[in-house]
Amino acid sequence: MFPWVDGFQWSLGHIVFLSLFFAVVLIIFSTLVSAAWRTASVFRTHRATEMCWRMNFAELPEAERRCRHQLAGRVPSRICDNAFDCRHCPKYAEFAALPPRAPSRNVRVDYSADLLYHRGHTWVRPEGDGTLTVGLDELAQHLIGHPDSVELPVKGSEIESNGIAWRMAKNGHEIRIRAPIDGTVVSTGENGDGWYLRLHPRDPVNLRHLLRGAEVRGWLSSELDRLQSQFSASNAKPCLADGGTLMAELMDAMPEADWDSVLEATFLET
Amino acid sequence: MSDLLLIDRRWIARGVERTPTMRFVLWLVPWVALLALGIYAAGLCLYYGLNQTNMDNRFAFGMWIFLDLAIIAMGAGAFFTGFLVYILKQADLKPILNSAVVLGFICYSGAVAVLMVDVGQPLRAWFTFWYPNTHSMLTEVTFCISCYLLVLILEYIPVLLRNRQLRKVPSFLVFEHQLHKLVPVLAAVGAFLSFFHQGSLGGLYGVLRGRPFAFRQGFAIWPSTFFLFILSAIAVGPSFLILVTATAETLTGRQLVQPSVFRKLGFISGLLLALYVAVKAIDTLVWLNITSPSLGFGPRDYYSYWPLSSTFLFAVTVPLGLLPALLLIMPTTARKRGWLLLGAALACAGVLLNRFVLTVQTLALPTLAFDQFLRYIPSWQEVATFGGVIAYGVIVYSLSYRYLPLFDPPKGAGKHVSLG
Repeated sequence: MFPWVDGFQWSLGHIVFLSLFFAVVLIIFSTLVSAAWRTASVFRTHRATEMCWRMNFAELPEAERRCRHQLAGRVPSRICDNAFDCRHCPKYAEFAALPPRAPSRNVRVDYSADLLYHRGHTWVRPEGDGTLTVGLDELAQHLIGHPDSVELPVKGSEIESNGIAWRMAKNGHEIRIRAPIDGTVVSTGENGDGWYLRLHPRDPVNLRHLLRGAEVRGWLSSELDRLQSQFSASNAKPCLADGGTLMAELMDAMPEADWDSVLEATFLET
Repeated sequence: MSDLLLIDRRWIARGVERTPTMRFVLWLVPWVALLALGIYAAGLCLYYGLNQTNMDNRFAFGMWIFLDLAIIAMGAGAFFTGFLVYILKQADLKPILNSAVVLGFICYSGAVAVLMVDVGQPLRAWFTFWYPNTHSMLTEVTFCISCYLLVLILEYIPVLLRNRQLRKVPSFLVFEHQLHKLVPVLAAVGAFLSFFHQGSLGGLYGVLRGRPFAFRQGFAIWPSTFFLFILSAIAVGPSFLILVTATAETLTGRQLVQPSVFRKLGFISGLLLALYVAVKAIDTLVWLNITSPSLGFGPRDYYSYWPLSSTFLFAVTVPLGLLPALLLIMPTTARKRGWLLLGAALACAGVLLNRFVLTVQTLALPTLAFDQFLRYIPSWQEVATFGGVIAYGVIVYSLSYRYLPLFDPPKGAGKHVSLG
């Protein structure tokens, strides 16, 4: 194999054969090293969170990737191809100017006109001092109820939009909550406080990607449809909706449901 | 028990239906038992040596070499599909690519495992690399198969890392994405390696001057069997892929790929098979009329020993060669699933028979005046090791199908997209 190994010959056939072999081995290992190097580079340049989010987004079912303008009834059908980041969407202004025609259905979940909503079921409220308060929306609270534990980021830590902001555990399930916005954690709250994080946002602050107004009703309506379909037994026949309201502490009330799938769909995991 | 069910469900991709856990476990039980028997038999062979087999100095190639040749030919679907998708830009075959990679990985890792048992002395396996005999076709085969197995492992890793739980680890997800972007390089290397080792597997028979049944003339340093093996492997690889996917569809009761993918693969397979049959027919005529007589052997010297009669030659050429080629090419038959699958099955059977004949008949025939026609029946250890490799393949494919994204998700679900 090498000139100093017994049996090596300085013949053309030997040299050509071994050269080809070493070239192939070199290409294979270079490919592996290159992939590892590029991976390290992505983490070094803090692009990992966005890359992971975009890859997860691409794997979401179509029904969970509907554009906010479809949810608001501004366009009949449109699938987001921008990972829910309307800040860089070239079509945003064109569609936002259209009048909303959100479904008139009463979603029976409280949502506030003062709050801005992220598709991962968090809300954002701009405060007078320039900070942003982040909390879990009503629907998510109905599902989880009182979590068994909450793991919040420490004060001063940086969180990235669509990265994991905090983790919760309930009945053996780990729930990872996506951050609605980039920022530095100023303070943390508790479940009883009604909010979880207070952030100092990165400049310039742009909250355009968060849902508001008619979009929220359309989005919650589609989320409730999804939940209804996920909670119904796989062999259930089509039936009329009962028109009831969402129960509190659903994870406790329906332990038999496929909570891994429900939680992943709710909190934008794949 | 409920914990086991929960863990199992957590590893299956969201939104896809899989058979209940207990049913899956029951499906695996007989295969695991067969694998265990195979490992035991292989252990006996490695511990006590090749006296556990019915091979000897004269019959040095047996069931295991037939298995190697067969599964390496079947595994050609992996490199050839990768070549079609990444090099020839046949994007419509992409939905079946992951399945092809897993099949290739199974075939090559199985082949390497059984070669380790066959060659024996696994602790000295590195000798073949350190002291290579570059005049031997087997050296080229060893080098290429080892390198290609590395390529297949690298191609399998992105599929593995897209598992529901593994993808939650950010570094795995980013690495998968980066490796996935480099897969075209691996596809090109895989095509290069496969071309040479598929050829060399055929070539090693063609250079056996002392075995007139196998010896062939050829081009430069390569006998005609070098090219015939390449052609037959790329012809049958897609057919095997069709068969395995169709079997998975039947067992799971789900449509896994569009019929158009089957038809395209079938057409490519049929076309190459027709070309192979034509080249093989010419090669056989040249061999029977020129090469063989020059060595003092006529057709009667090869085909007068039961059961290895001329029926085999006819079977490989017509019902297992020309007929499946026509079934796979003609639109009227290729459109119908039953005929398409029959064509693919016959094509695979043809190449299996060809590899069997070349391995067993070559060694069984007498070559000297005092030689006898030899009979070889594999020992139970050989059969069990063979079965163990088959079981290993079924288990790995079943687990991959259950926990990895082998096929595109159902319509409306998310799809893997290139992120540049």
